Amino acid sequence: MAELPVPAVTARERLRRLPRPSLLAVSAGILLLLVVLVLAAPLVARYDPNEQDPAIAFAGSSWAHWFGTDDLGRDLFARVLYGGRLTLLIAGGAVVVAFLLGTAWGFLAALRRGIVDELLMRSADALMAIPQLLFALVCISAFGASTLNLALVIGVLLAPTTARMARTVALQEMNRDYYAAAVAYGARRRRLLLAELLPNTVSLLAVQAAINAASAMILEASLSFVGLGIQPPDASWGTLLKEGYQFLYQRWEYAIFPALAILLTIWMLNVVADQLGARSNRGRA
Amino acid sequence: MADAPLLEVRSLVKQFGGRRVVDDVSFTLARGETLGLVGESGSGKSTTARCVLRMLEADGGSVLFDGEDVLALRREPLRRLRRRMQVVFQDPHGSLNRRSSVEQILTAPLAAHGLGDRAARAARVAELLELVGLGGGYAQRRPRELSGGQAQRVAIARALALEPEFVVLDEAVSALDVSVRAQVLNLLTQLQRELGLTYLFISHDLAIVRYMAHQVAVMRHGRVVEAQPRTRLFEQPRHEYTRSLMDAIPVADPDLEQARILAARE
Repeated sequence: MAELPVPAVTARERLRRLPRPSLLAVSAGILLLLVVLVLAAPLVARYDPNEQDPAIAFAGSSWAHWFGTDDLGRDLFARVLYGGRLTLLIAGGAVVVAFLLGTAWGFLAALRRGIVDELLMRSADALMAIPQLLFALVCISAFGASTLNLALVIGVLLAPTTARMARTVALQEMNRDYYAAAVAYGARRRRLLLAELLPNTVSLLAVQAAINAASAMILEASLSFVGLGIQPPDASWGTLLKEGYQFLYQRWEYAIFPALAILLTIWMLNVVADQLGARSNRGRA
Repeated sequence: MADAPLLEVRSLVKQFGGRRVVDDVSFTLARGETLGLVGESGSGKSTTARCVLRMLEADGGSVLFDGEDVLALRREPLRRLRRRMQVVFQDPHGSLNRRSSVEQILTAPLAAHGLGDRAARAARVAELLELVGLGGGYAQRRPRELSGGQAQRVAIARALALEPEFVVLDEAVSALDVSVRAQVLNLLTQLQRELGLTYLFISHDLAIVRYMAHQVAVMRHGRVVEAQPRTRLFEQPRHEYTRSLMDAIPVADPDLEQARILAARE
């Protein structure tokens, strides 16, 4: 039998046939990379973030100092990496607080209905009506600007939106027959919450968590920007941005790198949230 | 005591926003029998059943289950009563938690009432799967790995897990393919015989009710318009609405069907 000619595969064709990574994988990958870089800051950065050297103040980017140095001669690359630790710690803490508080809040409202529901949801509305930054300013002024306080205050601020979301998805699930069946066989409230509602809503709540993480970073940056965030000499991305902003005309790298770090992280978080949401909608249809 | 009805519903009322969805509904159901509750969608059949099961709170009337006033029960006594009355829904996949395995789905009712230890529950799962005609191999499956008929068998097994006396079948076969539907109906009648179950069989399809029910109640706009033993109902329907429902049953013989359509036109 004659051999059939094998059509030549061009390089471009081969490239096209490669399995394409999903947008979710790419964005989650970038986030993971950022987190690893920030966590491994002592290994990656070659300088102490708080070590001053006035001799090289305001240096531009070079092989020795990738992002340049600040007004006190501190290495900006190291400061951005170490600053990320605080930013991510606060954002992460706030997300956990918002998730725990908001989910309990929303689920309880959905489960109890009636007057309890009204009270819980109206108090959520009330909390949302207060301007976030103002609320945070008052709390931080009162309790001090520690990492823990920042995470708690931001978490509390994000809890009402999370509660609303949790209540909505819980009510949706409670209309389904599997939930009705669980009520019919006499499941206790604890089981209804933990075994029926939570596993079926967790993917939607994860979307909310990703959105929350982005909001938490913005709030932290805003608070730091007005001087109520992380206190010097330590720095978060927000405080770095604020410091750099003062020298925007002299040395733009100072502000631009922390800004880019914030931008990239929030952008990727939003893509992840978007993709997760689309995915869980598809799973439902 | 044997003659006392298992379930006695008196003047049940349920309103939604001032509209009476269930309006003065009464019926009795004898032990080991099946009451077919028919009517078009929106006629209040399911709402009636949900009030009887206390999944909805009725606005009036009374429900006596084995002499006990169901509507007056508080939390714990009500939870204990739930062991004796169970329900199977229409959508087989919707009624199973898609995050749980079949085993988890079937042990949940046992756990809710603190019945048996781990080994006893596993044994009960195997027994239940056997009972509904599924092998033990299904225990580790997830709902999405089941066909509609298999999922409905699991839902039936879950309803039977607590050894109830009374089961509400709320359009339990309506979503199934015709051949699967027949199998599940046979399973249900067989289970009734073996376990002495009492059914409240809700359906919009008189043909299936005719096959399943001993007694039939026809509902329309929230009211029971006619209630009779099955044979009498199908021989001499009293209410016009019942007759129109019967005319909607397709006949397998094309000549007869043609004649009926022509007769209906005149």
